[in-house]
Amino acid sequence: MIEVRDLTKRYGSATVVDGMSFTVRPGVVTGFLGPNGAGKSTTMRMLVGLDRPTAGTATVGGRRYVEHRAPLGEVGALLDAKAVHGGRSARDHLLALAATHGIGRRRVEDVLELTGLRSVARRRAGTFSLGMGQRLGLAAALLGDPPVLVLDEPVNGLDPDGVLWIRHLLRALAAEGRTVLLSSHLMTEMALTADHLVVVGRGRVLADAPVQDVVASTQPTAVRVRTPDAALLEALLLRRPGTRVTSLAADLLEVDGCPAPEIAAAAAAGGVVLHGLAPVESSLEDAYLRLTADEVEYRSAAGTAPARSRRTAGGHR
Amino acid sequence: MSTLAPTPGPARTRVTVHPVTFRRLLASEWVKLRSLRSTWWALAVAVVAGAALGPLQTMSVAGVIPDDVVRPDGMGAAYALAGAPLALLTFCTFGVLGVAGEYGTGQIRSTLVAAPTRLPALLAKLVVTVAAVLVASTVMVAVAVAATLPVLGRAGMTLDLTRPEDARIVLGMPLFLAAASALGFTFGALTRSTAAGITVVLGLVLVVENGLGAIPWAPLQELVVYLPANAGARLVTSDALGSVLSNVPSTLPPWTGFGVMLAWVAGLLAVACVLLRRRDA
Repeated sequence: MIEVRDLTKRYGSATVVDGMSFTVRPGVVTGFLGPNGAGKSTTMRMLVGLDRPTAGTATVGGRRYVEHRAPLGEVGALLDAKAVHGGRSARDHLLALAATHGIGRRRVEDVLELTGLRSVARRRAGTFSLGMGQRLGLAAALLGDPPVLVLDEPVNGLDPDGVLWIRHLLRALAAEGRTVLLSSHLMTEMALTADHLVVVGRGRVLADAPVQDVVASTQPTAVRVRTPDAALLEALLLRRPGTRVTSLAADLLEVDGCPAPEIAAAAAAGGVVLHGLAPVESSLEDAYLRLTADEVEYRSAAGTAPARSRRTAGGHR
Repeated sequence: MSTLAPTPGPARTRVTVHPVTFRRLLASEWVKLRSLRSTWWALAVAVVAGAALGPLQTMSVAGVIPDDVVRPDGMGAAYALAGAPLALLTFCTFGVLGVAGEYGTGQIRSTLVAAPTRLPALLAKLVVTVAAVLVASTVMVAVAVAATLPVLGRAGMTLDLTRPEDARIVLGMPLFLAAASALGFTFGALTRSTAAGITVVLGLVLVVENGLGAIPWAPLQELVVYLPANAGARLVTSDALGSVLSNVPSTLPPWTGFGVMLAWVAGLLAVACVLLRRRDA
């Protein structure tokens, strides 16, 4: 369980994290989503004590990270693939971390095996690709078999096999009852991996809900209707208060503000033949862009960053 | 779930995790130190360069110094350890690298996530770094003395560890070099940058301390003897000959001088500790 309460981080006059509060529960994968500069990495760094909060608290298992006597056994963190001395082999890197918590060599070999690094364990980490670096970072995070995992952009640089592998791994870890918080800017990845979302923008929490709810909440419930009697159906539906109809084609209408069963009932009552009746599925990406676009509009009015730049996906810092 | 689903480690093996202790941090720092090739290179260079110059310099003066010139006590020891400035340079750099190298590579974030209370990790690293230098410089001194002894006679010099001055210079050298590496370590921790740390510590030890000593202004002369390497070098300075490490005339007693150097290290380390606690990593 991760609890973030009124967490704030300022660098000089810049407020990177602005009073964030959210809770990450065990047993599900929680996605931490937001544009670059939204404060995701900084929040994660504060969670594991690398950055000091200006105000507020971040606790794991009820305590601040620094208060845990064996922190690697409580939280596994992958913050960036380059938190390793390039001159050291993968195995030695893990052995050094393991030594701090008296974790045995056997476990080091296990996580090397688990992350597919056994064959390159003797190679110097400086020669690793980004994807291999991510695997090494994940191996380090799993070292202490922690009930909580905090992963910043873990799929960055992984090949498709690696992405599939990590998705299954994270879901399996959550299924074991662990708390998994991962950030990503890859919407499809989030949609496939996460159960719950914390969407942030400009250092604030914009949404904190199950993935489906986030998608649904930002989307007007629209239904597409295919019928040869489009004009008649439109006239029937418009009698209902609050219903809006858009004609998309000669035989295709998009209906807002009227659920599919009621449309079907109205059509049956009016003797209209329906060829198709489908709720419009909005994607997580749509939902996300809508959420953060609001944020951008609000900010643009205040005279800050242009909207376009906010949508650019990419690495962090 | 598909066959791709991995079995997470915990399901297969029981993982025993113990609290972080200073002992475990020492073990971790030792793994880190020994697993870098640069460690062995730096220490080997220091030992070889530091030991080789003694016999070479002694041979170069053999037969040159007239027989009737008095060879004071400590002269043989000073000649045997003529490579000390090279060792000083290398060990100072080694000290800087030990800590600043972690910042340059990003390793520091892994280190501090594993040891979030921070100070014990820094101190463990200091202990391991200084211990390594203590061992390497002892080897260096032993090799230098062993290699110089056979040629000392040809230069009319002697080295006798039962003489207090000889013993102080020979046995004090590893201590001085270890303290110098600790000085480098603190600058590495303060600057968090390999380049800046090396520049500062070598600039101070090799240039500033001697340079200020060359300015003939009495009040300044009073002060420069208290600069870290000038003070610490008293421990390995021949009373009659002076030292190759410091050209500043000083009347500080040897162990007082070394104490002053340790006080510098302690003071700078304290500042480094405060900054480590306060700064974001």
